Order: sequence, then C-alpha cells, then structure tokens
Amino acid sequence: MGHSSVIGMDEIVAEFIRRTILKIPVAEIGKILRIWNFIPESQLKTINLKQCKENVSQDVVELCKKKRASMKEAAILDIIYHQTCQIKKIWTVYKMTKAPGEEVDLSDMEEFKDSFKKVLQRALKNVHISFRDSEDTAVWIRIAWGTPYMKPNQYKTTYMVYHSQTPFVFISHCRIKKYIPELWQALMTAGNYHKIQQMELRSLYLDSLKAIVFKQYNQDFQTYCLTSLEEENSEVEIVDPRIIHENMKEKERIQRVTRETFGDYVQPRIEFAQYKLETKFKTDPKNGILAEREEPFRCLVKFSSPHLLEALKSLAPAGIADAPLSSLLTCIPHKAMNYFTIREK
Amino acid sequence: MDSSNVPEFTPKHGVPPRLRDYFTGASSFQRQLASVRKQTPFGQTPSRRKIPQCSPLQENIDPQKIAFLLHKQWTLYTLTPMYRFSYTNLKQYSTLLKCFLAAEKQKGLAVEMGEDFNFKVTFSTLSGMKGTHRDPAAFLIQIVSKSQQSSKNAEDKVVWTGWFCCVYGDSLLENVPDDFTCLPLFLANGAESNTALIGTWFQKTFDCRFTRLTISAFNLSWMAAMWTSCNMEHYGTATELLWSVPCSPQSLDISYAINPEDAKALWDGVHQTPEEITQEEVDLFIDCLCSHFHRHFKINLSATRLVCVSTSVASAHTDGKIKILCSKYLIGVLAFLTELAIFQIE
Repeated sequence: MGHSSVIGMDEIVAEFIRRTILKIPVAEIGKILRIWNFIPESQLKTINLKQCKENVSQDVVELCKKKRASMKEAAILDIIYHQTCQIKKIWTVYKMTKAPGEEVDLSDMEEFKDSFKKVLQRALKNVHISFRDSEDTAVWIRIAWGTPYMKPNQYKTTYMVYHSQTPFVFISHCRIKKYIPELWQALMTAGNYHKIQQMELRSLYLDSLKAIVFKQYNQDFQTYCLTSLEEENSEVEIVDPRIIHENMKEKERIQRVTRETFGDYVQPRIEFAQYKLETKFKTDPKNGILAEREEPFRCLVKFSSPHLLEALKSLAPAGIADAPLSSLLTCIPHKAMNYFTIREK
Repeated sequence: MDSSNVPEFTPKHGVPPRLRDYFTGASSFQRQLASVRKQTPFGQTPSRRKIPQCSPLQENIDPQKIAFLLHKQWTLYTLTPMYRFSYTNLKQYSTLLKCFLAAEKQKGLAVEMGEDFNFKVTFSTLSGMKGTHRDPAAFLIQIVSKSQQSSKNAEDKVVWTGWFCCVYGDSLLENVPDDFTCLPLFLANGAESNTALIGTWFQKTFDCRFTRLTISAFNLSWMAAMWTSCNMEHYGTATELLWSVPCSPQSLDISYAINPEDAKALWDGVHQTPEEITQEEVDLFIDCLCSHFHRHFKINLSATRLVCVSTSVASAHTDGKIKILCSKYLIGVLAFLTELAIFQIE
C-alpha cells in the first residue's frame, strides 16, 4: 500500500483497527486477536477486556502501533472478524461454468490467488486485495475499492468466498457495483471459467448456502434427529384401549409424507423465499370468476421466518397445509433457489 | 367467516338504502341497525355496508390542511363520550394540559417531551372531518417542542399529534345525553408515554375512558374488500395481505401482494350489488385469493391469521394501527373506523 508514514503507523490504519475492534463483541475479541497472531501473546495478556470497549480498542491500537501494523495486516484482521462473527450481510451465490470441452482445472489455490490479483489490479487502479484461507479448503477474498484518484476505501469492501475445484462463489457485496464486470473477469480468468451466472439464491447465512449448494445438509445430523423422533413416538399412556386418536391414519400419513419430503435432518437455515406469480387466475368453476381472463394474475408472495424450512416442515403436521406440501416450497434446497418466477406452462 | 352464524337482517322496507338517504340524515337503515343492536344479546355486525363515498362535507376540507394526516402511522383508540367538554374552551384546555404535562415532567415522568420545558400545547378544530352535520367537530392536539435557540430560524418540532373524530356516528349519538360529547375515534402519533399521559389528563378532566382499538381479521378482510373496491386514478401500491402463521417453534409470515389492477379486476368479478358491499362478497373475495394461493403452495391461508392489510387507499394492522394514503377516501376510512370504535365501546 505504501502510504504509511516512515515514523509510525498510519493514522488511517490505526482508526480502521480501532473501529474494527469496536465492532467485535467483547467475548470474541481475545479469540480473534489470537487467530490474527499479530500481537504477541505476552502483550495480549496485558489488555484488560473488562474495561469499556472504547478503552479496549485504544489499548489494541497502541499495541499495534508498537509493531507498526500496516493496512495489509489490518485487512486480515477484518477478514477474521467476518469469518468468526455472524455478520448481518446478504450473501449471493454465483455459479461459473467452463467452456464446453474444457478439462477439469488442476491449478492450485496459490496460482488462483496470484492470477486473480494480477488480473484485477491490471484492470483497476487502487484496489486493495487480501486473501485468507479457511479450514474448509476455501479462500476468503477481501476487496477494498478505490478510484483512479482515490485510495481504496477500507470501509467499502466486497467479500468473496471461493471453494477450489467447485464452480461456486459466494459474494457479499458492498454498495459499489460498478466494478462487477472486472471482478467477474478476474474470477473467471483465475479459475479458468468461461461464464458466470447469478443463482436465485440469497441468504444471511453463509453456512446454509454452502449446505444447500454442496448438498451437505443430509449428513452429520441424522443421529441427532433419530433420537428426537423416538421421543415423539412415545405416547401418553392410554387408559382404555378402545380410545384411539381420531384420524390416526391421516396423522401418520402426514408424518410419513413430511419426512419423505424434508428428510429427517435439520434443514439448512434460510430466512426468506420469494415467488413472483404470473399464472392465470383459476378458482372454483362454479362461480366462474375471472374465468375468461387471459392475462396473468400477478402476485408477489414472500415467506419469511427466522428458520424458513423448519417452519414449512411443521405446516402439514399442524394441519395448516396439505401433505405433501407444494414442490414450489420443498424444492428450495434441491434446486438451490429461493427466488422464483412462476409462469403458466 | 361463516356468514350463516350471523342472524339475517333485512331492512323493513325490503329495499337497500338509497344513496340519497345516506346523506340526508339518519336513514331508516341506520336507525334500525341501532335498534337491532340493542335488542340482540350479542353485538351484531352489519351484513352489508355502503361502498366508501365522498361525504358532501368533505368539500369544505382544505386538502393542504389535512395533508399532514396522510402517510403517517396512527395508533387507534376508542374513547367513551366526554362529560362537559366544550369547543369554546379549547384555549383553556391547552393551558391546563400544558401545566399538567409540565408537572409530570418535573416529576420525571414526561420524558419524551423535549429537552426542557419549552414546549407548546395547541388544541384546534379540524373542519370537515365529519360525515353528517350531527357529528361533533373533530379536533386536534399537537405538542410542539420549541427550539432552544432564540434565533428566528429555529424550527419548532412537532413531538406528538393526536386527533379525535366522529364520522357517521349516529348510532352512538342518539343515545347520549346532552352534556356529553361523542368523539369515539382517537388517533395518536408520537411516543406512547406521551399518549398515556394525555389520556390520563382527559380521563380525569372529562370522565371518559380510552381503550386500544384492535382490528380483528374479520374487519381487516372487510377493509381489504372495501378499499380494493375504491376507484383510483392511479394505483400506487400493491394490494398486500400479511398473514401470520401460528407454527412452532419458528414463526412464519406470509406476505401476499397482488398487482392492484388485477386485484380490482378480481373484485369487479366478485362484486354484484351496486353501491353496496355484502358479507358474501367479502368472503368470496378473500376465498378467491386464498384458493389461488392454495393452488400454488398447498397452504390453507384461512387456517392462519390475517394481521395486516395494505392498499393504495390505506393500510391497517391488527394491533390497531392505520396509515391513510389517499385523501379522496379519508372520510370513508374514518367512517369504518368510527363504526369499529363504537362497536368496541358498546
């Protein structure tokens, strides 16, 4: 970056570190600083985490000044913060495709990063790019955008998560959208892809998006769910064997169908699904309302919930929906979409 | 919404009330409605209502003067008749209320009033906010926080607004002795603590009682139908219904927004009776929307709870909050709200 003063740490970097620490919940500050591994442990111990956050962040900045932190290290701190804390940002999923006939790319992650950085910096002046690998063979890419006349704005950043050997990229955009074409170009060149397309899938929860896209949601949770099912099946003691639960057969059918549709596992967590309906209006043929109308009945339906798929799963057993539930809803994880446009066939 | 449970009500004349009757005075329809209400042990809601029309008195309203009432969210309350309230004493009431609020502020209770004691309370009448001449005049209270600076450019900030009105309130007005003023609908915008204090003052001064006006899903569906039936030159907003699903452990909200022209087309297909809306039509309108939804999602919206309705005319929430978007149908919206308020009082 080269704009730090000769004598000490740049004030811009100091302020950035101070503000980043202020954003981190107190309980996570120690952990994040240790992962960052820039301030030695002996000095970290001197920070009193029980004082007010303003003072904690000042202490951290002082320690960073001693070691002359640059924007490069501060950017890594920012990435670690985003990786550790549940940041309220919408992640969008993009899928890249190779040109027909292209072989599977065998280049490694280091080549990818080099290539990406070169291409983007060649296209745009004043971008600050940082990388950090994460445990699941993915790389987090942080980009701070500038203009030909202004240094990169470290507060306007785009985050990208790319898993090597997969065609998927997860992007959390900041407001600056005009450099998207250059971003695509760099991604595709580095990854050796031919085309990139936005998927109709968005959520606040990056892990859920990954689970949906990599179809990992039906592993790891089976044992947990099997035990909870057993508890459900133990009924209250029935005094008289002639007393049975009304509609027992129907209830069992609904449970079975729901389990078949949704599976036994905990659903990936998304918080909304949106459907743009452009189908014709059809109702009871007896009343014939709008029967002759050819134009579509335009609606926009939006489902929202802290945990949408779990809520949908509970609808049929609660009697609020039919079983099986409409495939428009149950296809969300399989199709990896939560934005749909439905037209008349 | 099983309309077979509501006892059938037919006007004595066997003919639906004519448009003319609606404006020339307490029509026989409304008188009979009031008497039927008194006779039945359970409150009865009418099975038919007039389509919202412009009141002739609305022509007196200066649209600029009431512009501040639109596009604001109001919390709704019902108010029982006030004892010995007089329109000639509005200035005194301003002073008395201000003293009361200042005293409460000194006690440390009126925290939302502004920085210091530099606030002003004004009572003013709102002309034209009534259905018939018999309706008492609506009036407005505003609490204005005066800026600290004494410079001329310092702006006064309106901290709290509340207004009282009665639109087509005949069924309540008839039975009330002369000393009482009936303004059953109260709308407030501003901090709830202020509303509570002002309510306390009114209750002590005029021996009346405020209650939050909640809007049932049943009445919300009437609003959806009535406001969709209004003819607008320009449809700004979609007709949106918000349903809340009682599933556990996670809550689920379903927003169902229909293109306003398509919603109107559906309503026109459902609507048969001229100048009136019947219960059957409201039910059919909502059923049509629910069955279109069910066709796609297999979810029965009728098993969930309608909590909010939003149209180009107005939007209402079951908690008793309203936002009026269209001055043309302002009186129509107030008329329905007045009816709900009176119903809750009785």
